[in-house]
Amino acid sequence: MEKYLYITLFAPLVGSLIAAFFAAKPKELYTGILTSALVGISFLSSIVLLNYVDADTILHVKMMDWISVGNLSIPFGFVVDQVSIIMMVTVTFVSTIVHIYSIGYMEHDKSFNRFFSYLSAFVFSMLILVMSDNFIGLFIGWEGVGLCSWMLIGFWYHKQSASWAANEAFIMNRIADLGMLMGLFLIYWEIGSFQYDIVFANILNLNINTVTWIGSFLFIGAMGKSAQFPFHTWLADAMEGPTPVSALIHAATMVTAGVYLIIRASDIYFLIPDVGYVIASLGAFVAVFAASMALVNRDLKRIIAYSTLSQLGYMFVAAGLGAYWIALFHLMTHAFFKSLLFLGAGNVMHAMNDELDIKKMGGLYQSMRATAILMTIASIALAGIYPFAGFFSKDKILEVAFNHEAYLLWFALFIGAGMTAFYSFRLVMMVFFGEQVHKRLGFHPHEARPFVIYALTPLALLSIVAGFLEYSFHAFVIDLLRDYKFTLDHSVGWMLIVATTAIALSGIAFAVYKYKRGGFGAGVESLGIYKLLVNQYYIPQFYNNAILKPFAAISTFFWKQIDLKIVDATVDLIGKMFYNAGGKTRQIQSGNLSSMLRWMVAGIAVMLVLAIILRPMV
Amino acid sequence: MDYILSLVVFFPIVAGSFAFLVDAKSVRVFGIAVAIIEFFLSIVLWLGFDYGIDGMQMVEHFSLISQFGMSYYLAVDGISLFLVILSTFMTMVALFALSIEKDIKNLIIAVLFLETTMVGVFLSLDIILFYLFWEASLVPMLYIIGAWGSERRIYAAIKFFLYTFAGSVLMLVGILYMGHLYYETTGIWSFAITDWYQMVLPFNLQLWLFGAFFLAFAIKVPMFPFHTWLPYAHGQAPTIGSVLLAAVMLKMGTYGFVRFSLPLFPDASIYFMIPIAIIATVMVIYAAMVAYAQEDMKQVIAYSSISHMGVIILGTFAMNTEGISGSIFMMISHGIVSGALFMLVGVIYERRHTKMMREFGGLASVMPSFATIYAIMLMGSVGLPLTIGFIGEFLSLMGFYRIDWIITMIAGTGIILGAVYMLSLYKRSFFGPLVNDENKKLKDLNFKEYSALIPLVFLVILLGIYPKPVLDPISSSVKNMIRIMDKKVINKESKEILYKANSIGGGR
Amino acid sequence: MIGLAHYLVLSGILFSIGLFGVMKRKNLLMLFFSTEILLNAVNIGFVAVGRFYGDMSGQIFAFFIIAVAASEVAVGLGLIVLWYKRTGSIDLDSLQMMKG
Repeated sequence: MEKYLYITLFAPLVGSLIAAFFAAKPKELYTGILTSALVGISFLSSIVLLNYVDADTILHVKMMDWISVGNLSIPFGFVVDQVSIIMMVTVTFVSTIVHIYSIGYMEHDKSFNRFFSYLSAFVFSMLILVMSDNFIGLFIGWEGVGLCSWMLIGFWYHKQSASWAANEAFIMNRIADLGMLMGLFLIYWEIGSFQYDIVFANILNLNINTVTWIGSFLFIGAMGKSAQFPFHTWLADAMEGPTPVSALIHAATMVTAGVYLIIRASDIYFLIPDVGYVIASLGAFVAVFAASMALVNRDLKRIIAYSTLSQLGYMFVAAGLGAYWIALFHLMTHAFFKSLLFLGAGNVMHAMNDELDIKKMGGLYQSMRATAILMTIASIALAGIYPFAGFFSKDKILEVAFNHEAYLLWFALFIGAGMTAFYSFRLVMMVFFGEQVHKRLGFHPHEARPFVIYALTPLALLSIVAGFLEYSFHAFVIDLLRDYKFTLDHSVGWMLIVATTAIALSGIAFAVYKYKRGGFGAGVESLGIYKLLVNQYYIPQFYNNAILKPFAAISTFFWKQIDLKIVDATVDLIGKMFYNAGGKTRQIQSGNLSSMLRWMVAGIAVMLVLAIILRPMV
Repeated sequence: MDYILSLVVFFPIVAGSFAFLVDAKSVRVFGIAVAIIEFFLSIVLWLGFDYGIDGMQMVEHFSLISQFGMSYYLAVDGISLFLVILSTFMTMVALFALSIEKDIKNLIIAVLFLETTMVGVFLSLDIILFYLFWEASLVPMLYIIGAWGSERRIYAAIKFFLYTFAGSVLMLVGILYMGHLYYETTGIWSFAITDWYQMVLPFNLQLWLFGAFFLAFAIKVPMFPFHTWLPYAHGQAPTIGSVLLAAVMLKMGTYGFVRFSLPLFPDASIYFMIPIAIIATVMVIYAAMVAYAQEDMKQVIAYSSISHMGVIILGTFAMNTEGISGSIFMMISHGIVSGALFMLVGVIYERRHTKMMREFGGLASVMPSFATIYAIMLMGSVGLPLTIGFIGEFLSLMGFYRIDWIITMIAGTGIILGAVYMLSLYKRSFFGPLVNDENKKLKDLNFKEYSALIPLVFLVILLGIYPKPVLDPISSSVKNMIRIMDKKVINKESKEILYKANSIGGGR
Repeated sequence: MIGLAHYLVLSGILFSIGLFGVMKRKNLLMLFFSTEILLNAVNIGFVAVGRFYGDMSGQIFAFFIIAVAASEVAVGLGLIVLWYKRTGSIDLDSLQMMKG
């Protein structure tokens, strides 16, 4: 079985390296096909592994030693267990589709080969992240996906905004990574190993304070990667990258790494419910906070990005409250419908010549029937309507919150669910239905190539049916993860389902009703709350004014004022002192012999005096 | 194999002397040939290195001035082995990329002389010999900066020379005093460091002697606030000078800390641990911020060197195997990465005769291979896992975490700030639209540049993935050194700190 | 009774005279005379101390100094004559070629 593990892991790397050789060359169709095929192979072999893994058998291999110093020993070790195999299947599945989709999406791009090289490299990093059997392996993948995300966001590097966004994403992730590193250091110095099994076996012996610190530090890392407040700004800006990238990295896989970390370290978080509650609260806050920004945004991709953010909040609520399997389940279903949504958005963008403003679209259903249907399916799934996938996972999270008697959190998520339904259908309505604004503006939209549409159908299918996998999923993962006990009354559970479905449906109904007639009037835009939301609560401006500008100013100050005018000037001053002293004493060297003789005599006299004073004591 | 160390030390200088006879047209080839042979000699040294021995090996010991115990004493251990290989390797690669035409004969000879002194510093165990090489290394570098630099080269060269020279004088006093002390306690003169390791010093004396050595090493590293010679030296030096300066000469300072300060004055080192860590932290952040403010690409890398050296210092003063091994590994990784970055700046400088970032922008589209290699080195510099930069940085910070987690966290912001200045450099130079007309017809790398850069890229990735052959001997020699320290420590508190630093568990 | 102290005082006085001359005179010839006085002052000291301790090395040293002084005078006077022929002056202040 090890064979399949290595195939899963390294097939994307091989594809990436091969594509990298042609990176600077003009488009070669077969690099796209080859990398897609290799990722597909990776997917198939992870399916084989999925069948292999069960309650008693997991696969654990050690490839080689990586770092060994002192007491420390870090191998390249990989583990395929119930959690990582779910992640592997999800990642490789979505990646395969995104690869195939990209062949169509990027067909006119002159850096076609380079794109596939990056994309496959990302898949490889993500697999390292989920398959490693130790925290440092996870960290390798963690940084690796950060690097790939940097390269892919800045893929069109000639655009200033793209390269700015790429740097923002990388740096913001690094800030959080520092927190994570601190957590890792603490783990090492307390336990002496980074291996999951050893760490989790010994974590009980630690002082609860220490565990709290470890949990908090690791969560800071998770916050960065999963773009939780206050690290959320990079995700929306990351939409500068090509759309398949947004689908794969910034929706389906990489951003969920934070959730994966919490699930993976559930043995740690289980011990510290207080930290878990903080995580859940932050998650609930972000769920509403991000959804509120999605309500008013006019940028097609940013709306979906905010919805991703909001859904990540849901996942963190589940993970924070100890319902790890539910978080993982939502992670999986979300990957399906969110990537579908993004890829559909990519089709729309292509049709509209990269126009992103949804106000300029409208009525696209006429020309893009298939895409419209796919995106509607994804939106329904996102809104959480029975029997679509989102219903099963998202509803469970609300139940968990209620079950935990965290009514405030529940209420936030409840409101969030309504908002989600509203903004999803606002998007669908404004893009595909209503007045055909794009005709006035002279766009001639056309449907995407058939193979692109076919590539998306598996995602659509799963968005519809994945929810029914709930029971087998639950049975499968609780071999590894702690189960979550619902103590709710059955009737209360039903009431919750009804309430949530009702608010989702009313959100949809409101959106459909409102945007059928051209939406809100211009009056809304002058409202204070609208301005606040459109400007993302002024947080980017705040970061710019409170962090970036002062940082640049202080840096310049350090250089121009302190380094040049104080530190260096002091050194030069000492140098000049000697130099000037030399200039002064140089006059002694007049060349006049008689004055030299006099100096000589003076010198002798001084030496004599010194010889007398410093004579050895007898 | 008997005299391999002497051969490695003196081959370049002897061969370099023959270069006087070589015709100016073929001297470049001659120099490269010598550097390649020297590199292979150092590889032979590595092959002959016995991984089972954690102390000194391949010892060569002859008495020179027996009355005063000065001897010709060379030996190698895991700590110095890879610094030697780094020196020979970087000299070789730097010569590959050499494109200076003016007075090339003198330059080649100066570089080969420099190589001898650099290797000599790392291999000498007689401290007088060490001091000789230490000071002699300044002369060729003075000449390289002063003769082939840019406009303000004389100022920079003299500043470099006098500053580092002045620092070493106090070290000489310390050395002589130590020698005298050894004579007083044992009745025989010896300047062999291995003999000195056996000597236990009273605490007060340790403090003073630590101070005497500290200044010399601190200026060489360079530690804040003694760093200002470095930006000038780098800014004015020709590419080959910057490469060797950053890659090898700075490491002499940190090597000095590991080889001398720590095992000779363990109590003093532990006593000064926190103050030095604070200086190192200041250095990391301050230099990173100053690097961000720079407009000249080369200055960014110069200041980034200071910032990285701060992390090395931090690892060195972690007093545990993880930290010290990490700091030694980082010396090597920083040598390779910063050397490569300086070489890359040299590439663009040669084409455009400017290093100002505002002149560039969009270079990625005209020079894709250059941009790719730059990106790889940049990732090595910011310490991405699976590049060479990560391991040293990770281990150094992890080592110091055991001593003080708050300082580590503050110094850890270096990994953020490192990404900030490096990525902004990359964005300003390589990304964005190609606006400047002069940049539109730039040529990508040529064969000469590839031959220098490809081995570096290869190493950056290879040692990032498989550091074991390098890390193992370092780790065992460091363990040995910590045993020596542990034996010598006299204060009870320092003993406890040393013990704690090297053990796992025990609460925060 | 004339003891060692007298000789040493004499030597000291002669030395001071010589020193004064070295410092004050501008004529090269006079400088020479002053140097000779200095040397002889030392000679007296050597001989006296040698005699006092009954050690011959003092006198041997004095001979050496006399020999050195003689050769010095020979060379020095030659140079002065040459200098005088070239410049027409043996004033010390005119010898300023080394002015830095």
